[in-house]
Amino acid sequence: GCTIRAFAWHPHTNKFAVALLDDSIRVYNSNSATVPSLKHRLQRNVAAMAWKPLCASILAVACQSCVLVWHLDPTSLSTRPSSGCAQVLSHPGHSPVTSLAWAPSGERLLSASPVDTAMLVWDVSTENCVQLQWFGGGGVTFLAWSPDGSKVLAATPCSVFRVWEAQMWTCERWPTLRGRCQTGCWSPDGSRLLFTVLGESVIYSLSFSEYRGEMQGQVGGSKTASIVADLSETTFETLHGEERIGGEVHSMVWDPTGERLAVILRGHPDSPGSQTVVAVFRTWNSPVFELLPWSVLGG
Amino acid sequence: VQGWRVAAAVAWSVLLLPVCTAGYIVLSGLDPFHPVRWISSSFNDLYTSYVIFCVLFMSMVTIIISIFNVEFYAVVPSIPCSRLALIGKIVHPQQVIHSVVHAVLGMLVAWCATVMTKGKFQFLAVSCTPSESPDDAAPQTCLNEYHLFFLLSGAFLGYSYSLFYLINNMNYLPFPIIQQYKYLRFRRSLPLLIKHSCVESLYFVRNFCVAYYFFGYIPKVWISTTMDLHIDSKLHPLDTLTGLLDLSLFYHTWLCGVFLLMTWYIAWLLFKIFATETHHFPVQPTFAEETDQCLPKILSSNPPLIIKFLALQDLMLLSQYSPVRRQEVFSLSQPGGHPHNWTAISRECLSLLSDLTQRLIAQQEAAAANGRAKQPVGEMKVPPQAPGAVGTEDKSFQSQRSNVVLRTSMSSLVKPSLVPVKTSPGADVRSPFSSPAVNGKTGVADANSPWHGPAQSPHVMRRAPKLWTSVSDQQVNGSHHEPLPVFSAAKPGSEAVQPRFIYTWLQNKQEQIKNFLSKRALIMYFFSKHPEASIQAVFSDAQMHIWALEGLSHLVAASFTEDHFGVVQTTLPAILNTLLTLQEVVDRHFKLPHVSSKPPRISGSLVDTSYKTLRFALRASLKTALYRITTVFGQHLNAVQVSTEHKKRLQQFLEYKE
Repeated sequence: GCTIRAFAWHPHTNKFAVALLDDSIRVYNSNSATVPSLKHRLQRNVAAMAWKPLCASILAVACQSCVLVWHLDPTSLSTRPSSGCAQVLSHPGHSPVTSLAWAPSGERLLSASPVDTAMLVWDVSTENCVQLQWFGGGGVTFLAWSPDGSKVLAATPCSVFRVWEAQMWTCERWPTLRGRCQTGCWSPDGSRLLFTVLGESVIYSLSFSEYRGEMQGQVGGSKTASIVADLSETTFETLHGEERIGGEVHSMVWDPTGERLAVILRGHPDSPGSQTVVAVFRTWNSPVFELLPWSVLGG
Repeated sequence: VQGWRVAAAVAWSVLLLPVCTAGYIVLSGLDPFHPVRWISSSFNDLYTSYVIFCVLFMSMVTIIISIFNVEFYAVVPSIPCSRLALIGKIVHPQQVIHSVVHAVLGMLVAWCATVMTKGKFQFLAVSCTPSESPDDAAPQTCLNEYHLFFLLSGAFLGYSYSLFYLINNMNYLPFPIIQQYKYLRFRRSLPLLIKHSCVESLYFVRNFCVAYYFFGYIPKVWISTTMDLHIDSKLHPLDTLTGLLDLSLFYHTWLCGVFLLMTWYIAWLLFKIFATETHHFPVQPTFAEETDQCLPKILSSNPPLIIKFLALQDLMLLSQYSPVRRQEVFSLSQPGGHPHNWTAISRECLSLLSDLTQRLIAQQEAAAANGRAKQPVGEMKVPPQAPGAVGTEDKSFQSQRSNVVLRTSMSSLVKPSLVPVKTSPGADVRSPFSSPAVNGKTGVADANSPWHGPAQSPHVMRRAPKLWTSVSDQQVNGSHHEPLPVFSAAKPGSEAVQPRFIYTWLQNKQEQIKNFLSKRALIMYFFSKHPEASIQAVFSDAQMHIWALEGLSHLVAASFTEDHFGVVQTTLPAILNTLLTLQEVVDRHFKLPHVSSKPPRISGSLVDTSYKTLRFALRASLKTALYRITTVFGQHLNAVQVSTEHKKRLQQFLEYKE
């Protein structure tokens, strides 16, 4: 039982936001001692948070019934910003909101809910939204926008996920072998997608043709995904005795330079001694994709 | 390019017409007790000749409607700022023609509907029910009141549609926030359109029933006398309560309304989708005859506004998504080695942005010059119909930060109005910055009539600041808080003409008239300017600026890695200057009252009201544009030549403190 619901690093500065179980959000900044605490009456059951790229401090929060966009003053010293700083983006039928993704160019916000078959593309400043509806799969559980702004991964609760291209908003449908797509992350140039499937402890890789710009309406994914890493449980002999590391992947994140991949491995709940660890891999994306295990952070 | 799009939109709406007609026929023969018979008879009816004739007739109607859509569209919404302006818009001859034609077309559509429905609605004149009195041997023709009801409801629906079109600014073409294929956009809007048509039809039919109840006898009597028909005394007349409570009549009228509204809304929707589709403008002309169509040329010339919008939208898209076309922008011309493309594009974008800066500065100066602290922007506002006028006037101010210049010019502006009380609507537009010479003509269009706080809240009215100040008003502070309908700005400055006796006498008279009128609440009701509307009107064409900002900043950010010849670097100081100045001005503008309050948002409506919140989008995209440039360039920006004040602000951006 932990008290943290969600966590988000600011993409440009040393700032991060932590959502706690009591529905408040704290923003910690390495440059200042004040810790603003954000509370709003609609801020309940926070599932995800995302800082707006190319901005000083705008934070989007996925709540039970809406999306709250906090406009914080980066230089203010107040510890309780008023609820007036928060913009409420709500759409009928779109709740609970569990996943958010900002466009890397900072203008559009995608929000998704597992009970709504439509993803919403918000223009935050005018509070207009466009529904992108696609049937099959029921809802969207996970969103990931590629750092070059060209593609979006949308995972559904069923064993299918979609990859949308962000210029004309057409999509490709990818059925998985079993289980739903748990998590995914993109390479910095948008040419490779690494994803994992619930119930399997492997990392799949899907490559996309390089974005040429004039390729409107095509996602350009390759035919099949290939397995690049097998993370099933293995036993290591260490100084402290046997350690069992491996298992299913909870979430994955690729660093903006494309050199490190961090994976949270959930240990097996049945077997004793296995724990949740963060495995860091060293990656190269060009000319050939390579993945090497580098270190394991435990605890 | 527009011609093809319009033709395609019209063709599609005509093609969808038979589908709607079929739906209408099926639904109008609604017979829940005999479903099989209903379906089969409906299908049989679909092939009869009169249905085909009706479909053809309706296609003509749809084409006429589409012609009206094309004639009336606007990419920049015209926002009436006061109630009088709204009334003026309604009685404008163009609008009157629009309403009349729509009413006539509505009647024609209703007639087609009656033909297709058969039954008791079909003919205007039917034989009367045989009366029982023995001396009426020959059957006479009577007025079929149902038919008349239908026709009149069609006319009323047409007129209401036209009125709603005007009030909701449906001629405004909003550009979509994301690009999608046309078919997907249409499919997405269709359920909303159907729901909206049903609800609106209900609303209109209800209004019509009320109107018919009171005024229905007029056309009845008129038709029966002109066409020598008798009123059937056996049947209930329809302009009574019992007559109007006929469920089948209501249902058929409502269905006809839904049909009419749906076909017209589909035509409007298709036109909108086709017209706002992105168009690919070539940056570098490959053939000589294409030179006029290439992007730099179009941006620097003065094309029709929709073309300019499409060009800027294309610029925004190419700057984000198209490395090939970006290369063309950064290329040098052969053989001179001049970056013509980049120069033209950047110059045009910068001039657009500095234009906006000047406009906003002018607004703020006007607000500040009135002397009151809490003053929404008002008086010197140029009506949205002629933004160009301000542009040309403002270009006379060369310096970007021309606060000082403007302040002195404002104070020296002497414009006594020797015009009688009522302003002339549609008077020619005069920019308030015309020469400070004394001239006798007010010459400001109606929309410029002085505002005051909204009439609804009396306490606001009490502290509503005055729009202009005159000599006498300066001395009487606090007593005259009511706005005055006559436009006069008389603030004598240093070089003001020496007031002569006649002049002062006229001024006093004017003050007296103004005071008298200001106590008439009715006049104030009409002349009161809605502050929210005036603010929206200033930012009504902000979509252009938003795109210019995005396009420019994306190109500059991309040039960090893609610009091989360094064409962008030389213009970087100018770009940064313009952006930073605009940001300061916008921030200051948002400190004015009412500007930062968001209008209430109605979700799920067919009518697009995105023009109401354009100013927020402008502010956000301005900040994002600046951050984009600072993020990409990082510390290299310190080497760029900008003024020290701007350097400080850039430092704030670099540290993410803005």
